[in-house]
Amino acid sequence: MRSLITTFLVFSTAISVMASEIHAPAQITAGKAITLQTSGSGDATFYLIGPAVASKSKVQAGGDIPIDSDRLEHAGRYVAILCASDGCTATNFFVSPAAANRLSFLVHPSRIPVGTSQGISAVAIVRDNFQNLVLKPEPVTFSIMAKDEKPVSAARNSENAFAWVRLTSARKEGPTKLGASIGHADEVRVVQQVAADACNLRIKASRDKHGFLIETDPVHDCSGNPVPDGTVVSFTESDSAGKTTVDVPIKRGVAKVDMPIDGRATITVASGVVTGNALEVSGGQ
Amino acid sequence: MKAAAFRYGSIIAIVAVLLLGVVGYHLRAAAEDDLPRVEFNADNISPRPIEDLTSKSVPRDYALAWQTLAQALSGNKTGLLDGYFTGLAKQDFAQRINSQIKSGLQTKYTDHGHKLEAIFYSPAGDVMELRDHVQLDMQILDGGKVIYDQPVTAQYMVIMTPGADRWLVRQIQAMNGEKP
Repeated sequence: MRSLITTFLVFSTAISVMASEIHAPAQITAGKAITLQTSGSGDATFYLIGPAVASKSKVQAGGDIPIDSDRLEHAGRYVAILCASDGCTATNFFVSPAAANRLSFLVHPSRIPVGTSQGISAVAIVRDNFQNLVLKPEPVTFSIMAKDEKPVSAARNSENAFAWVRLTSARKEGPTKLGASIGHADEVRVVQQVAADACNLRIKASRDKHGFLIETDPVHDCSGNPVPDGTVVSFTESDSAGKTTVDVPIKRGVAKVDMPIDGRATITVASGVVTGNALEVSGGQ
Repeated sequence: MKAAAFRYGSIIAIVAVLLLGVVGYHLRAAAEDDLPRVEFNADNISPRPIEDLTSKSVPRDYALAWQTLAQALSGNKTGLLDGYFTGLAKQDFAQRINSQIKSGLQTKYTDHGHKLEAIFYSPAGDVMELRDHVQLDMQILDGGKVIYDQPVTAQYMVIMTPGADRWLVRQIQAMNGEKP
């Protein structure tokens, strides 16, 4: 009986000494090569399963297993498995993101009327060189470079890889560059600021051979920016017979229309939600 | 003779319709059973408040994303990723599946549910960041033989963006469990 127990103990000890094991370093950063240590002996198969990898290779148990940097570029959870004649053993490890050095920069909208309060949204997503999200707070510098104006910048700390600002569009139309930077990354987007709705819309009338030529003054927004050509202006004639509306696009800054008018009529003008002055005219023979 | 044929034909048609109904019901029930459970919380979302419709579609589409991911990794079918993944997430999982095919491996997940918390929703509504606390059983198989079988409790940071008719997973990154 004693010899049986001794044999069992020796056998179990031998198994525990021989059993394969695999160990990963405690701290692993994306894009850095590592070496996994194994115990045991004999031919074995090594598997590496990660966010974008699932590989299999022949190794010798008991030796070191080098893992190249390009197989560890994705931050996240990895499983390393070693299968030898005595079975499979595994270890899990996490790869942390590398230093922040890239940005995804989302700016909306790409076109906005001038003077729109908090109308522009700029969101920066902080990443490392391998596109991993960098979750620890990082300072992101946002800058605004409006046409003919001094650049203005503001810093925001990222939270869970996101930093954002909301901006009011400038008073002057034209392209405005919005930038976000961190480390070596400097992303720029352009927002086209266009004239807002027409302001102080005014019309005048003059007689022509068909009736009246109704013409607006040059159409501007409230900041003095010319409203773009193509913007529709509606002229409405009201007389005893009813109402007639003509929609005319602005061309070279003004909108004009010929209106044959018999008798007394009132002409009004509007563009979008903005209305202008009214004219009383009297046509006919 | 004609009347008897008509009678039997009608009986067969009715039975067929009933059978189809029963099969359809069971298939639907099975599909719903497979859908991972997602508890969604958007109480701390900022800066944009979440819309009612979005608060329903995000957890539904996230559950469908995990369902299709499990099927794609188990069957080594990259095409299944098209439905609910885009950008880096789709690219990385496709890479993983392609290397699984090359190595003769499969990954099987048994999903025990997700606690999904929305933490950032951009002012323009074009991107949402979420934190997922998930419990899974993960099996890795080599040529059909199980080489790894362990329960996994993990946290993921997830970026979702709106598509034409659904929210898509654009990036998913496991965290080390520590708060950033």
